[in-house]
Amino acid sequence: MSTDPLTESTFAERSRAQLAKPFLRQAVPRATDKAVNDLRARFVYHDYDGLREMGREIRARTISNLDIYLDQFADALAANGVHVHRAADAAEAREHIQRICREVGATRVVKVKSMATEEIELNPALAADGLQITETDLGEYVVQLDGDKPSHIIAPIIHKTRGEIRETLSRVAGRELPDDASELTGFARETLRDAFMDADVGISGANFGVADSGTVVLVTNEGNGRMCTAMPRVHISLMGIERVIPRLDDLAVMLPLITGAGTGQLITSYVTMLSGPRQEGEPDGPESMHVVLLDNGRRALLGTAFQDVLHCIRCGACQNVCPVYRQVGGHAYGWVYGGPIGAVLTPLFRGQAAGGELPQASTLCGACDDICPVKIPLHDLLLRLRQQRADVGAAPWRERMAADLWAWAWSSPVRYRVVTRVSGTVVRVASGLGLVGRLGPVGVWARGRALPMLARRPFHTRRDHDA
Amino acid sequence: MPETPEFWALAPTELAPSDDPIVRFLTEIEKVSGTTVRLDPTELVGEITTQLAAVGAHRVALTADLGDARPLIAEALGSAGYEVSDYELIADDREVVRMLDATVTGCLAGVAATGSIVTGGAAGRGGALVAPTHICVVEERRVVDGLATLMRLAPHLGAGSMMALQTGPSRTADIEKTLIIGVHGPKRVHVVLLEGVLTG
Repeated sequence: MSTDPLTESTFAERSRAQLAKPFLRQAVPRATDKAVNDLRARFVYHDYDGLREMGREIRARTISNLDIYLDQFADALAANGVHVHRAADAAEAREHIQRICREVGATRVVKVKSMATEEIELNPALAADGLQITETDLGEYVVQLDGDKPSHIIAPIIHKTRGEIRETLSRVAGRELPDDASELTGFARETLRDAFMDADVGISGANFGVADSGTVVLVTNEGNGRMCTAMPRVHISLMGIERVIPRLDDLAVMLPLITGAGTGQLITSYVTMLSGPRQEGEPDGPESMHVVLLDNGRRALLGTAFQDVLHCIRCGACQNVCPVYRQVGGHAYGWVYGGPIGAVLTPLFRGQAAGGELPQASTLCGACDDICPVKIPLHDLLLRLRQQRADVGAAPWRERMAADLWAWAWSSPVRYRVVTRVSGTVVRVASGLGLVGRLGPVGVWARGRALPMLARRPFHTRRDHDA
Repeated sequence: MPETPEFWALAPTELAPSDDPIVRFLTEIEKVSGTTVRLDPTELVGEITTQLAAVGAHRVALTADLGDARPLIAEALGSAGYEVSDYELIADDREVVRMLDATVTGCLAGVAATGSIVTGGAAGRGGALVAPTHICVVEERRVVDGLATLMRLAPHLGAGSMMALQTGPSRTADIEKTLIIGVHGPKRVHVVLLEGVLTG
């Protein structure tokens, strides 16, 4: 398909490119701080930790019994008159959606922001079929017009300035639009209104799929989620199989978690619960509704050390607090998902060879664990992925050599003493001569880091002086 | 689970025992840039007319969830010179729907803790959404405490193929985190809380 930054460049190369953009390094911390502060303010008088423990429990129970709930969900959807399709991988999911669009004779498609559709690269496939696709979330619309990619799970154009957005929208308008967020939004509203009214098919993701009622839940602020599922004559929802929850009642826990962790809102402007196509006697709504259940590597994680990552509800909170993400932004991660969750999902979905270096892009500070609304132990998963990378021999030779040498040297007292003495001297001399960068593995590590000076005398030889 | 007595202490989307549901409902709506008024059913028609005049609306649709009150409202608006339609009769005509200035709807429920109004597909998915102004009539008896109660009641509300929670006007902060009100949904949401029931 299109270019694949993940395999064509390294994390270091991509982050260097991102770090060169001064706006990014201001805008991302500013925007993410706001979300985090709003979340904290939201729970000043409530027990976030208690609520996320309930969230964790719901997600853990669901994922441990995924097939049971998934079957229940599929049955309930079918009972509601929804067509259910199962897709083992991205290609199958695209084929299902392409086939539905063909069968209903669609020419125009409107889309609600969905990471799952990004994951399967749906838009290029539909465009190749001659369909006209319009992203209707304001941010995704701008991303689409620019041929760009979203850089945050819920704030797709966090990396763009108002000036850049104005340029893009002015190009569509064929005139200079004013440099004002309200005017720019107004222009997008009017333009996209045509798209909603003329579309044959509305495609959405799903924030949750409720098993006991057969309901697809969309959580949005702009209202495009409701538009896309009200106006076109067909609605297709692409849902990762892990997004199912057992009962409607569980939404009382999951909704405040996803909106709180995502944007710090008490609740988003719109929570749309869709349980089937337009019924007899209803004034509007789609004639048919389809749900495509996407596996694409998810089921393979069940029963592994990485099962907990399936608890994720894609709120973006871990990105907001990650000291690495806040500097380099989402594009540095090279695939759909950025930040800590991306550093875990990418090697799992795309393989160690392509995504294995991403878990290295973490300080393991655990800020992501502390904010995650369903308590995913992200930093444990990052460590396990590092371990896995070493086990399968995917780590670079210099890194492996350094670790082997270190293990060899420190496993005997004599070698340990010699090495600490020698390395202390070497580092001091090299640093004095400005040659740290040439010290092999140490030099690689020291790039972009300040190498601490080793003490003149190792600690273990100093005992008599301390007495 | 949500039924535990202390759930309100965990989730901000529940009502604390000290909260008055009606006061909380109106307060939450205003916090998210909605407007509210609480009045007697006899004042309803006058209030709707005043609100529509204030925003300069002309083409108005009414949804079926206004029940027996709908003909009364339609008649009053019609004689005041508004172009009034029942939403289900125009829903298929996209050009007419697109030109609407305002919609007036009833609702299935109000959620006190979040300031949400709940509408159903039975009265139309687009009715509360397409026009720049949305006036929603909420009977006091329909106000429930929080999301836990709403989800328990959801299967019994007669929502139809869709149940939507709507909290304040449509919004986005996609451009440099500047909050903009009124994207694809309505710019103005006015909630009329009735101290009584909607009748013909």
